[in-house]
Amino acid sequence: MEKLFHRKVTVAVKYIVVALVSAILLMLIMSSFAKREYAISGFLSIALCAIAITYLTNYSIPMKFFLPGMFFLFAFVVGPILYTIAMSGFHYQTGNYISKPEAITQIISGGVRPDSAQTTFDIIIGEDPAKNLEILASDPGNKKYFLSTKATKTDLDPAGLTIDGNGDATTAPGFQALTPTEQAAQDKALGTTRFAYSSDFFITIEGGNVASLKVQTLKYDSGTDIITNALTGSVYKDNGLGNFANVKNKSDFLQPGWRAPVWFSNYTKLFTDPQIRKPLVQVFIWTVVFATLTVLTQFALGLLIAMVLNRKLHGRRIYRSIIILPYAMPSIMSILIWGGMFDTEFGAINHLFGTHVHWFQSALYARMAVIIVNLWLGFPYFYLICSGALQAIPAELSEAAAIDGASNRQIFRKITLPLLLQVVSPLLVASFAFNFNNFNIIYLLTGGGPSNTLGGAVAGSTDILISYTYKIAFSAGTQNLGLASAISVVIFFIIASISLYGIRRSKVLDSFK
Amino acid sequence: MKKWIKEDLWRHAIALVICFFVLFPIYLVFLSALSPTGSLQVTSFIPKTISFRNFHLLFTSPAIPYLDWMKNSIVIAGVIAVLSVVIGAASAFAFSRLRFKGKKQGLQLLLLVQMFPAILSLSAIYVIMERVYSFAPRIGLGTEPGLLLVYLGGAMGVNIWLLKGFVDSIPVELDEAAKVDGASAVQTYWLIFVPLAAPVLAVVSLLSFIGTFNEFILARLFLVDQHSRTIAVGLQGFISGQYANNWGPFAAGSIIASVPLVAIFLSLQRYIISGLTAGSVKG
Repeated sequence: MEKLFHRKVTVAVKYIVVALVSAILLMLIMSSFAKREYAISGFLSIALCAIAITYLTNYSIPMKFFLPGMFFLFAFVVGPILYTIAMSGFHYQTGNYISKPEAITQIISGGVRPDSAQTTFDIIIGEDPAKNLEILASDPGNKKYFLSTKATKTDLDPAGLTIDGNGDATTAPGFQALTPTEQAAQDKALGTTRFAYSSDFFITIEGGNVASLKVQTLKYDSGTDIITNALTGSVYKDNGLGNFANVKNKSDFLQPGWRAPVWFSNYTKLFTDPQIRKPLVQVFIWTVVFATLTVLTQFALGLLIAMVLNRKLHGRRIYRSIIILPYAMPSIMSILIWGGMFDTEFGAINHLFGTHVHWFQSALYARMAVIIVNLWLGFPYFYLICSGALQAIPAELSEAAAIDGASNRQIFRKITLPLLLQVVSPLLVASFAFNFNNFNIIYLLTGGGPSNTLGGAVAGSTDILISYTYKIAFSAGTQNLGLASAISVVIFFIIASISLYGIRRSKVLDSFK
Repeated sequence: MKKWIKEDLWRHAIALVICFFVLFPIYLVFLSALSPTGSLQVTSFIPKTISFRNFHLLFTSPAIPYLDWMKNSIVIAGVIAVLSVVIGAASAFAFSRLRFKGKKQGLQLLLLVQMFPAILSLSAIYVIMERVYSFAPRIGLGTEPGLLLVYLGGAMGVNIWLLKGFVDSIPVELDEAAKVDGASAVQTYWLIFVPLAAPVLAVVSLLSFIGTFNEFILARLFLVDQHSRTIAVGLQGFISGQYANNWGPFAAGSIIASVPLVAIFLSLQRYIISGLTAGSVKG
């Protein structure tokens, strides 16, 4: 009886959770669809269907376990990876950030000039009898008065109007002025509405009671996909790179541009554009050097201390506890602390050695600092691994070798090291892959700098690929998301091949059944 | 006696040198935190006066919402630690125990995916969450729930992978016995697996906690407002470019933030280390 009740409660909880999640998803699907984010709403719709099928039927038992994890994995890992690949095929950067229709709308609304006489009107903002926005405009100098809505302009006879001391009309038949609160509610519409004047000219509101006469200079013809400047006669054509460019002068763009598909040009640029290729090659070399040196120094120091402590020794436990401290501390804090210690004027390192080294101003010293700090952060990991592995090596082997007359050095080189490497090499590969993308240490310690050494580019001499990519995508100047994505994709492949190599060696794949 | 010197002295010497290397920055942080000035400058490596001014400043200065940062970090890392394991454990169980089509491909995909740090697709995450913000401002770019969602996705690959490794080492006989007794897969999961794996789940959630606590760049991208920052982003912003001025409070703040984590780590090091060597490197 109790069991049955228990079961009913579980089932009820299940249905409530499924219903709640579905309701949230449904809301998101509708609002994303309304904003035309079709990819997102499509993904969410699939997720919703999958939830319904999985949890309301017994179609697939494993899916009941997988679905929540899969949802997050696809939404925030696989999705972004695919999106990165897609973005790398676009000219996608500051100034080319929006879609083409949005860009055209912005170009046209910006392609407006005041008329040559810079005419202004005194206005009252109100509504016509049909509740459309309307202005009552007065030109006291010429004693001209008219009403204007978005669609029509109606000239008024001054005789039928109330005119104040400034010569401005205050009321007009059928015109209802808006109160300040009503105006505030329509703020956005008031700023963007174009009130009719004549075929080429229109009126926009400049302030509470002033409006000016404008003329549309840039015109878009959707049939031919061409923008013309009515004033100068210039013709602008889609240049295929996300901008309307002057047909006579290709460097004359209209702003803003849009993200245009350029297929592989972001990738070819990596190899052909010297401004990109030069820093990229240097950054790549340093990335490999950095990751290699990091792994080697961490491993060497870790192995050294593991061997030193691989023996009953007074205070071994204390040594061990101290040595794993860097590993236990939050690495962000440690990096920031080291950053302070390398300070030229006040830093503890210069104080300790009595030197005056500008650590972060010279490429060589900055690189040394990065390696030293990373050594501090990472060698305890290899100490832990090596000491575990050393203990696993049977003592009989080295004893037998010693009896045969091998020196300690020979034992280490011929027996211990090879056995150790067998265990540790997959972890060395994994560590290499990790450090290849070790963004935090670079970003927090040196910021990639010193940055004046690689020929004026954003890259600095301690920048590794990932921090360089970050700078390309998010630096204060031009943010080039297309190029950054292309570099990310290249890193994807490098890391994937390194890791697959490591996995092959560790034979993880063999265990999949 | 002579043998002792020959065999052990050099070992102690090397160990002491390395301990000095390890302890030097840590000692220095305590020195700065307890100094009465709060400046980066080290006048002497031996403290003359001890003052809690920097700690006091940390909790009273309106320029440093330290308690907010601490709270944000703990909440975010805590939520991720719990949810990522709750969700990840189910998938790990299925990968480890259930038989189904496409298991091999699924594992390969997981292996591939868990190798990519979120930072590689940072621009994509940024753009996607910017779009999400346009229709759901509460979970998009710049919000804490948005950051949580991204973290949850990022934690999934590694966690499932780690948990699967652990689950594989739990004897199969137990759940096979349950199966023989007529338990369904779902029942086996809740009644047999979860209680058995509880210690393992705790360790993996602790690893998630530490990992999230240490995450910097996504947090920085998402949490712009001074009061909504995590401790990592907050402290970094606090001293960036002005080591000299804010060093003392920073040192005090990093001690408070580190001590609990170090304590947990040291007390559970055996479990944590076996988890870490199972295939991932701490970030």
